[in-house]
Amino acid sequence: METEVKLDRTTMPVFGKEANIDIVHAQEGKLPNGIPLYSVNAGTQDVIKVEMIFNAGATQQNKPLIADTANSMLEEGTTKHNSEEIASMLDYYGAFLEVAAYHDYAAVTVYSLGKHVAKVLPILEELVKEPSFPQQELDVYLTNKKQRFLVEDKKVRAVAARNFPALLFGDAHPYGHVTKIEEYDTVKQADLQSFHKTNYSPNGCAIIVSGKFKEPLMNMIGDHFGGSTWKAQQTEASKKVDITPSAEKKHFMAKEKALQCAIRMGKPLFLKSHPDAIPFQILNIILGGYFGSRLMSNIREDKGYTYGIGSGVVFMKDAGYFQISSEVGSDVCDKALIEIYKELDRLCTEPIPQAELQLVKNYARGNFLRSMDGPFSLAERFKHIWLHGLDYSYYEKYVSTLAEITSAQLMDVAKKYLQKDSIYELVVGAKK
Amino acid sequence: MIQFERFTLANGLKVIVHRDTSTPMACVNILYNVGARDEDPEKTGFAHLFEHLMFGGSINIPDFDNALQQAGGENNAFTNNDITNYYLSLPATNLEVAFWLESDRMLSLAFSDKSLEVQRSVVIEEYKQSYLNQPYGDVWIELPKLAYKTHPYMWPTIGKEIDHIKHAVMPDVKGFFHKFYCPNNAILAVSGNVTVEQVKALCEKWFAPIPAGNPPLRKLPAEQKQTQSRKLVLERDVPVDAIYKAYHMGARMDQSFYAMELLADVLTDGNASRMYVELVKNKKMFSEISAFTMESFDPGLFIISGKLSEGVTLEAADEAIQEELKKVVLAQVKKEELEKAKNKTESQLIFSEISILNKAMNLAIFELLGGAEEANKETEKFNKVSEVDLLVEASRVINENNCSTLYYRSKNKANGN
Repeated sequence: METEVKLDRTTMPVFGKEANIDIVHAQEGKLPNGIPLYSVNAGTQDVIKVEMIFNAGATQQNKPLIADTANSMLEEGTTKHNSEEIASMLDYYGAFLEVAAYHDYAAVTVYSLGKHVAKVLPILEELVKEPSFPQQELDVYLTNKKQRFLVEDKKVRAVAARNFPALLFGDAHPYGHVTKIEEYDTVKQADLQSFHKTNYSPNGCAIIVSGKFKEPLMNMIGDHFGGSTWKAQQTEASKKVDITPSAEKKHFMAKEKALQCAIRMGKPLFLKSHPDAIPFQILNIILGGYFGSRLMSNIREDKGYTYGIGSGVVFMKDAGYFQISSEVGSDVCDKALIEIYKELDRLCTEPIPQAELQLVKNYARGNFLRSMDGPFSLAERFKHIWLHGLDYSYYEKYVSTLAEITSAQLMDVAKKYLQKDSIYELVVGAKK
Repeated sequence: MIQFERFTLANGLKVIVHRDTSTPMACVNILYNVGARDEDPEKTGFAHLFEHLMFGGSINIPDFDNALQQAGGENNAFTNNDITNYYLSLPATNLEVAFWLESDRMLSLAFSDKSLEVQRSVVIEEYKQSYLNQPYGDVWIELPKLAYKTHPYMWPTIGKEIDHIKHAVMPDVKGFFHKFYCPNNAILAVSGNVTVEQVKALCEKWFAPIPAGNPPLRKLPAEQKQTQSRKLVLERDVPVDAIYKAYHMGARMDQSFYAMELLADVLTDGNASRMYVELVKNKKMFSEISAFTMESFDPGLFIISGKLSEGVTLEAADEAIQEELKKVVLAQVKKEELEKAKNKTESQLIFSEISILNKAMNLAIFELLGGAEEANKETEKFNKVSEVDLLVEASRVINENNCSTLYYRSKNKANGN
């Protein structure tokens, strides 16, 4: 070797200016009966995900736990097959079922290999259209749910998570309602049947298909879900309950002998369509939305008070909120709270240094790219605009805001939304 | 099927490359061949604590995370009894940043006192959060202790006790680094929108200059064959009684593993599984029950765990489990049962290969276990297991003299009775 250039390990290698982020859009279609059908055909693996969305969330129920129980019980028996037979059929084709009920909607999803999807769709159809909610299955389900509730009740994190939304929205509102164990006893078979009849119907239904598939799949979906025999139902407008936040800001719930306190802090915000939604999400990343965030750097990486702390923004149909969550050593709980408030205050009073802002912009851009990777992720990104009545311009706006936003603008957003005295606080742990 | 190419640097670093152009991202996974099983019994929890310290700054780069985030990347790591594994993903255009970062912390850490002090506290909080301040959390401290008498699997990855973590000092940290964190004790897997030539060039530039080390040859005491059933009763402040039964079984790459994994599926995976139908739905003795293997590289455990329904005694629950297990020892499972378990396993594998991160991680792990190509033989190995194989393996494993049983009793209930 003649000349060897010494390797400079102290300077970060120059990295590429990325090209424009190319967002693959979902294709829009419609089944003959009017059900919107969206599809993302991408990826390399022979896999398919079919997600059916229904107007069947907690906001549509007339009493607690009905939406969630109806959704979970779909796989527990139909007019043609019992719970075991349904599971056997899905197992045989290596398919996976996922059911979930949220505040504003419920979803029934199957994951299947492409080669088996023709066999799996009829099972999905049966679950969605003809569940029978057998009494003996319901009894087992509710008994076991109650037991799980008791176990969860021993976890400070779970107790905090269950109780915090009530401070922001009130226990009477579906967004804030705190499930009580007695409520499981009020769930009746007839409630589920009638909820299913009105809420799992073609009106209010949408289907999102993603994966690597061929065109006939769209026809198959049409055959199973697009016919006129599946009748639309009159839905009663669910009764509107006012949002009533707690009068007190600071709350404490005792858990004897807990070694750690669970902390939840936050406040109600705006809808996803609000002009401040994107800037606030960028602010949230800085505060607690990534590993290098201010909360992590201070409370974990500098002080060692916790294994983890983070913050996030949640958008629902009629409201949004922001929250910070962590579990910290019982002996350092007060100190951790002081530091969290200090970090909120700092965002309101000091401009974010240029280097930190640039880092967050780069990180968030990379993260955005990651969140669009693969057919299932693309479908998920589509769902999260569609649910809020937004279109792809939302993501374009996100990328451009990320590029352009300044420290001064972010400080204005902080001042508007993160004033200390506007923050609700819940601590669950041992009494001092 | 994951296509890959493999090469080894002069310093012994093994490199595997998987190209997937359907993504704009790249993943870099580095596996170090050291886990909790390699620890000094008096200084347990060290491999995991060390993993935290790997983020506390390296010799030329003060802040790993900061630099990676700058390049739009994200990373994490995990430690288990067998390995320590670091992984990151970033836009493929910034791949070199990953090489710069990972090679610097393989070269040397900064060994900052502040980082050690803080990460000791962080890990102690993690210990509390996952094991002590969690209902049933200490099962994973007590059960391995009961099942293993000589092999280091007897302690959990996080450490036998908090005091071991409290007492970790800088000379231990340095010693551990020099012993295990060298190129010839690591496997690098790169996946995503990359080319083999590009990865080769980056490896030559960033990793080749790191000198090889002298990682110790692993000589772990083999666990003696268990000949008598073991039992432990714990009373804790939990709402519901629970039972855990741990049977010694084969290692990850043994045929035994594939049979026992499928048996676990037959028994408790899903609403049509045997124990779920019989014990949860029909007899209503359990609110939940699950069977699984620990997937450990050395001979491991087949575990059945269940939470009891109101009014069922631990003794009756234990008996009911044994009765179900007896059935798989006395007669072959049905053809359809095994077929379903196989189909589900195959499908899971295909779904897991959507993610370039999973692919990189799998390739690295299988390279350590005997060759990256083994990653592509998994489905075949599962499919080869016959009803007879399952019966033979179950008869070998399912035996009370080969079992450690933990009764986890609710204190409130014990007082109430």
